[in-house]
Amino acid sequence: MAEVQSILTGNGDQRQTLVVVFLRGGADGLNLVAPLDDDGYYRARPRIAIGRKQAVHLDGFYGLNPLLQALEPAYHDGALAIVHAAGSEDNTRSHFEAQDLMEHGGVTGGGWLGRFLRAQNPAGSGPLAAVALGKSIPECLRGSPAATVLQSLDDFSLGDNRSRLTQSLANLYGAQTDVLASAGRDTLEALRRVQRLRNTPYLAANGADYGGDDFSRGLRQVARLIKARVGLQAASVDLGGWDSHFSQSLIMDPLITRLANGLAAFYQDLGDEMQHTTVVVMTEFGRRVEENSAFGTDHGRGSVMFVIGGGIKGGRVLGKWPGLSREVLEGPGDLPVLTNYRNVLAPILQRHGAGDKLSQVFPEFNVAPLPLYG
Amino acid sequence: MPLSRRNFLKVGSSSAAWLAAVGCDQLPRELRALYESPKRSGPFQPPTTQDIDPVSHVLNRTAFGPRPGEYTRVHKLGTTPMEAAAAYVEQQLSPLQLDDAEAENAVRRFETLNEPLGELFEYQEELLQNELMRGALTRAIWSERQLYEVMVQFWSDHFNIDPSKGDCKWLKVADDREVVRQHALGSFPEMLRASALSPAMLWYLDGRVNRRENMADKPNENYARELLELHSLGVHGGYTQTDVMEVARCLTGWTVRSKAQEPYFQIGKVEFKLSQHDCGGKQVLGENFPAIPANLDKTRREQLGQAELDRVLEIVTNHPATARHLSTKLCQRFIADEPPARAVEIVAAAFTQSSGDIPTTLRALFATNEFREARGNKIKRPFNYIVSALRATGASTDAGMELIGYLQRMGHAPFNYPTPDGFPEPAAPWLGTLLWRWNFALALSENKIKGTQLDFATLQKNAGGDAGLMAHLLGRKPSPDEAQAYHESGAGLALILSAPAFQRC
Repeated sequence: MAEVQSILTGNGDQRQTLVVVFLRGGADGLNLVAPLDDDGYYRARPRIAIGRKQAVHLDGFYGLNPLLQALEPAYHDGALAIVHAAGSEDNTRSHFEAQDLMEHGGVTGGGWLGRFLRAQNPAGSGPLAAVALGKSIPECLRGSPAATVLQSLDDFSLGDNRSRLTQSLANLYGAQTDVLASAGRDTLEALRRVQRLRNTPYLAANGADYGGDDFSRGLRQVARLIKARVGLQAASVDLGGWDSHFSQSLIMDPLITRLANGLAAFYQDLGDEMQHTTVVVMTEFGRRVEENSAFGTDHGRGSVMFVIGGGIKGGRVLGKWPGLSREVLEGPGDLPVLTNYRNVLAPILQRHGAGDKLSQVFPEFNVAPLPLYG
Repeated sequence: MPLSRRNFLKVGSSSAAWLAAVGCDQLPRELRALYESPKRSGPFQPPTTQDIDPVSHVLNRTAFGPRPGEYTRVHKLGTTPMEAAAAYVEQQLSPLQLDDAEAENAVRRFETLNEPLGELFEYQEELLQNELMRGALTRAIWSERQLYEVMVQFWSDHFNIDPSKGDCKWLKVADDREVVRQHALGSFPEMLRASALSPAMLWYLDGRVNRRENMADKPNENYARELLELHSLGVHGGYTQTDVMEVARCLTGWTVRSKAQEPYFQIGKVEFKLSQHDCGGKQVLGENFPAIPANLDKTRREQLGQAELDRVLEIVTNHPATARHLSTKLCQRFIADEPPARAVEIVAAAFTQSSGDIPTTLRALFATNEFREARGNKIKRPFNYIVSALRATGASTDAGMELIGYLQRMGHAPFNYPTPDGFPEPAAPWLGTLLWRWNFALALSENKIKGTQLDFATLQKNAGGDAGLMAHLLGRKPSPDEAQAYHESGAGLALILSAPAFQRC
């Protein structure tokens, strides 16, 4: 109870917040961060490759898709690190299997973020410890001690003068013995806390300009909750629709723009608060190296991950590059996964206080944390 | 004699004045349905047992919950509750023998639902999407063929198509009618074939661009993969990456005319193009497909190319993994989120023995002890929650967009799931929706949802007072805690609709 009060008054709460952005549908890492100096890339994608002239050059080898230009400042500030040829060990090339495995963090119960929050909060956490922006709770938060689905703070209310109804609901849900007990308790608690935020208008800081799309709106709500110190430890924001079998640029270009603008606005808005905030961007798999006959790409393996946050030794593209020659490609012609996503998440979770609990978060996997922080 | 749209339009211009003059009660039944939802009232006997009995169980689990008086009606179908429940389910397994004029009249206002494929393109996408959603909601609320509507929802998820992709905006209406609704309580192999050749499915999973005109073309694997992973064998069903690619090769050449193509009147037409078909030899799940010889005449080659689709579907339908996969999903829907292994085996065997006859498969499921015993252990998904509340309260509704707004907030508006796996069935992903359920319960009970209206006083009177009303809503007598909360909350009806017990089915 003491902890709850301290969170609500905004005193002494030094929570670190991890924001997980999931690009659903298998985002094409090769066209997000292109290996400009690999001729194999241009041979495999004569029609859809990112041209050397258009790309935002990073380090002489890689270049950002020009639509990601808004991320250039964070990269040059050293706050953004990129990991290429990253992904999971799942080779079904099935969206659902690959997302499932990645969000669960292996073949094991609950989601990796849910297990992390449990390990961090053995006695249960505040109801706003974990928030899923969108319509449902993603698998990565499964098993979390609390996870709230939130679309907007403003309509998160039962209306005025409902204290008797609220009390009656608390009595009935409190007497349950299954999942409805915790769901009811978390809902009532979250309701009380967000009620306090509702009437405060929100202005983004440092001239940050969020777009009007769902992704930007979601990140804006996350920034608001971080600054309001409601004890937010993890937030999940999805950006879906990356399944570009067909007319790839028509499908991907608007999404890339949304991704870049949303992340850039969030980075700018949080300013110094980024010191205790990390954003990690992941996707279930990349696309086949060769384009298909419909100007698209089919399901592949390795893709790219982005990490933005405090303390990172960024301004680098990490991970080994295998090249794109026939011998190194996997299965039907896919970029192999040389950095397991858990090895990207591991150092982040350690910074967020996982300490020696990494084995609880990723059981059955020998973690070799990537040196994200130097 | 149903009133056709044309006949209605003939009288349309004068009907408003007529309505004002004579009032709703004197309208013929067919016309009345256009203006108001059907009503069912009169005093009824709510459940009197401490626990959910077999009748309440089947009304909650195989239907979208009881309407006022329905519990009593079903009870009379047998000498014991168990017998009555079994008789009810048996009736529900033959939906065509149940008179459903009321529901059909209620959805007649959504005229796009009956438009032929080609004519759908005459309509705005938004109207089509709205009428699809409103039609699904209206039928779930009013249909006497409740199990059929439950299965329509089940197969809509199983063969999910997000209408926001390409021509699916128009084509999904036909898919809903001619694939899902046509076969929901019919034959699985027939439904699978209808789905494989559904114009909307050919769009949604890119079958229409799955072609191989020369050896450099790579077939589009999207449909082939979901066919194996989601529609038939299941992800651990024993197929390989090679099988996916080989199935894709077998299905090359099937395409659908898009809105962008001429001639306009042939949009949505499904065609097989031999020139885009991969005529080489193939192997699917261990079965050989011989190459189609180049020296045969074109008609024969076309026949052989088209027959590969039928052979692929036959192989996957008869694969034991398909029976297991479907049985697991059905048991998860009707028994428990973690389906009991014994029931899964029984249902899979019935599926196999009946060659995928859906009523036979369901009959076996409903006869298991696992089904009979698993009462009140499932959490309603938001759609089920909202429909059950509207049915239980006897509310009239136009199933309008304000009502659908509640489903959208909870992420469960029909035809709004982006990926081919369909809305999840287990409770976990829906547990974050409680607040929106409570909001809905309050708005419904206070008549604050535009187009939706309930009559609390009459409902309460017909149920025999507060205790009877609670028993009707809960499917059993209220616990002392529930009765106390009902009276203390200051919003009794909303409280019961928000209570843990009403989230269960």
